[in-house]
Amino acid sequence: MSATQFGSQTDTAARAGGAAGGSGGSGGYGGFGVGAPPVTTVATPSLRAVLRRSSFWVIAFGCIVAVAVVAVLVSGGSNVAGRALAGDNPAPAGSMALVEVLRQQGVTVTLANSLAEVRDTVGNDSTVFLYDENGYLDGDQLTDLAGLAARIVVVAPDFLSLQALAPTVGFGGVSDAESLTANCAVPAANRAEELLPGGNTLSIPEAAEHPLVTGCFASSTDTFSLVQVEHDTTGAIVSLVPDARVFNNENVTGYGNAALALGLLGPSDSLIWYLPTLADLPRTGPPSLSEITPGWVSPALVLLALVAVAAAFWRGRRFGPLVAENLPVTVKASETMEGRARLYARSNARLRALDALRIGTVQRLARAVGLGRLAHLEDVIGSVAVITGSAPEGVRRVLVDEIPRSDAQLMALSDALQALEHATGRAVRAGAVPAAEVSASASREFVSPPAERMDP
Amino acid sequence: MTLTGRFVLLCALGVVPIVLFGPDLVAAAGVLALWLLLVLVLSGIDLALAASPRAVTVQRILPARVRLGESVTSELYLTNTGRRRLVAVVRDAWQPSAGAGRNRNRVVIPRGERRLVSLTLTPFRRGERRVEQVTVRSRGPLGLWNRQATLNAPGRIRVLPPFHARKHLPSRIARLKELDGRTSVMVRGQGTEFDSLREYVRGDDVRSIDWRATARRNDVMVRTWRPERDRRVVILLDTGRTAAARVNNEPRLDTAFEAALLLAALTSVAGDRVDFLAFDRRVRGRVQGASGAALLSQMVDSMALIDPELIEMDWAAVPGQVRGITSQHALIVVLTSIDAAGASTGLLSVLPQLTKRHTVLVASVLDPATVEAAATRGGRAEIYRAAAAERALLDVARVSAAIRQLGADVVTASPAQLPPALADRYIALKAAGRL
Repeated sequence: MSATQFGSQTDTAARAGGAAGGSGGSGGYGGFGVGAPPVTTVATPSLRAVLRRSSFWVIAFGCIVAVAVVAVLVSGGSNVAGRALAGDNPAPAGSMALVEVLRQQGVTVTLANSLAEVRDTVGNDSTVFLYDENGYLDGDQLTDLAGLAARIVVVAPDFLSLQALAPTVGFGGVSDAESLTANCAVPAANRAEELLPGGNTLSIPEAAEHPLVTGCFASSTDTFSLVQVEHDTTGAIVSLVPDARVFNNENVTGYGNAALALGLLGPSDSLIWYLPTLADLPRTGPPSLSEITPGWVSPALVLLALVAVAAAFWRGRRFGPLVAENLPVTVKASETMEGRARLYARSNARLRALDALRIGTVQRLARAVGLGRLAHLEDVIGSVAVITGSAPEGVRRVLVDEIPRSDAQLMALSDALQALEHATGRAVRAGAVPAAEVSASASREFVSPPAERMDP
Repeated sequence: MTLTGRFVLLCALGVVPIVLFGPDLVAAAGVLALWLLLVLVLSGIDLALAASPRAVTVQRILPARVRLGESVTSELYLTNTGRRRLVAVVRDAWQPSAGAGRNRNRVVIPRGERRLVSLTLTPFRRGERRVEQVTVRSRGPLGLWNRQATLNAPGRIRVLPPFHARKHLPSRIARLKELDGRTSVMVRGQGTEFDSLREYVRGDDVRSIDWRATARRNDVMVRTWRPERDRRVVILLDTGRTAAARVNNEPRLDTAFEAALLLAALTSVAGDRVDFLAFDRRVRGRVQGASGAALLSQMVDSMALIDPELIEMDWAAVPGQVRGITSQHALIVVLTSIDAAGASTGLLSVLPQLTKRHTVLVASVLDPATVEAAATRGGRAEIYRAAAAERALLDVARVSAAIRQLGADVVTASPAQLPPALADRYIALKAAGRL
């Protein structure tokens, strides 16, 4: 079917529909967009339009990222909060200055993080710089270390280090000397002449005169800021520097700190800069979950997470926009009646409720006995009493006099009202129509709510 | 752009090579990366090869109107003006109450060709149902990704009131014809006017034998009577807040529509002129001067768009509106609700103005639930409920009495019964010659 043909057909259909739209049937046809093929506009913006519209945000985001990258690069990727005395830390607490100077002097400095790395790189004539700030190494590891290197410089030794490397040396407290001068036979100390005052010291007990122990930079007779010991078993020379500040970037240039550091660390071509880490802790307990799971588990989990995201997009993508609709108000007409009933019940308005029931009953009775809607109450009572053959006092009691004191009485009176209505209805039927016709008309009589209510 | 279940499945299948070829973490991660790359490459190819849904032009053919409860077919012609074959799923964005069903149609359109997508609509709400857009989701050859675009293709369809009450029409027309003298059983009422003479047939009322004509023709002749014709009937519909209440899950307004339609159909058959006015504070719908089939068609058309307004009916303006429609004596049928005396003061205050010139008939829906509640006396709660129902019925009776006292007539009935009851009352008034 060509477009023109199609258009003309629908035009006739529309005309025919206009004429036949007669009794509100569904015959009429009103074409929308019939005739020549219209240009259909697209509501969804194209990718290019989206990009153009959001270009400001894209550029803004790009600028923010660029600024962030530049900022990181300018700050040199500095590990400002890096580890103290780390060889690659340019912060004041680091030791990058010292390491770089040593490298410029031709010393091969290797940064090590675990004893295994030290063991891999150590040579016959290596010097090991050890600063175990957190006390990761235990005694055995320290003893091993002493056996590995020819020279060990221990900075700020703790109790275990002293036990393992220099059992005769103890702690000496904080130095209170104004200045620290070398005064000893260690060449590096002599070249340094003076040291940063005020740090921790180590003590050499006078009683234990040990030939292999040398103390320098004395604060008092038995406390020193540098103690050099020859290890008992391995013969390694262990230099103990209790004050870590001597080596850091901030203080290394003051006094003779640099001379001492270079002298202690620079005698050989190979220096191992060893700061112990968690990797040095001995492994205990059962194997962790990651050790016993196969290697493919993590990638599979990543893939399944991606699948979940993809499935969310698959199911969640809506099929075009929704069309809004105004909904009509819906109120049940009987709400006011229900509300009034609840009010009666909550306030125990028995008499008021009963009054409503009584008035309704009286009106129905009046109609049943053939009196008008406006009949006097006494006439209704009299007629009903006569027709049902009961005492007028009883009828009056039910219809007017008795006041309910409790819910039980209210229910009894309500039942009495209904009984009276039924009795009247029966009596009227029995009296009005012959007995043979009562059964025939019974079904009509019992049609309970009248479909159409018209007042008589 | 949207992705498909097949794409998700393809992604998930990557678990197999990862488990098979990835014994350790690094190898498995490598396999994962390769798989993702493969999936992305395939998706890119699929997306690049999918036909563009933007190249589709839409033509829509809609029936202008449909009666509530009936079904119509909406036709949507899609032309593929692009360069590739379009395999797509199409959704027509109808309002929910247009009853468009699931509304997902698969189409395959070769380049340059046109296909029909027809959709069966079964609206379940009266009024104007709109459609705004057509969404086309074009599938790639691999079925991994779709291209989706929403095309503007507005349209609307008018859903008319159902007029269920037309089932009562034949019986009422039969009774009207009895009045009219066109059946052999003649009913002679007060105020009917003389029509013609015809020969006596058995069953005719002997009292209507015209003896003078019988003597002239030498055959027994009877007079036939017909009711008055060309009277005016004005149907006034209250679309204020009380029309929004639902009785038997049907708004009062819809019941009033049914009653008005039945009455209008009957009235136009009876030869009277009908004017229709839906009013609250302004005119919501008006049909004047129409007759025959056009009358009902115009009435349902204007009714289709009327919804109850949550404002108070302006009764004071009603006499003016009626004056604007007719200055002659007319039957004014007011379709409103009679609730409590307080809510009906507006109606009661203007009734004297109306009844002075016109015959007024007030029709109202009575809630069958109220009648039922008044007769149910089970326990304590039910007795209080019965008392409240009885009180509500008394209120209705009092207002009805007041309306009668002002010279108008009242019809109240349950929603299903109101239209025939109103029609019967109209026939009774016509028979009584009170129009």
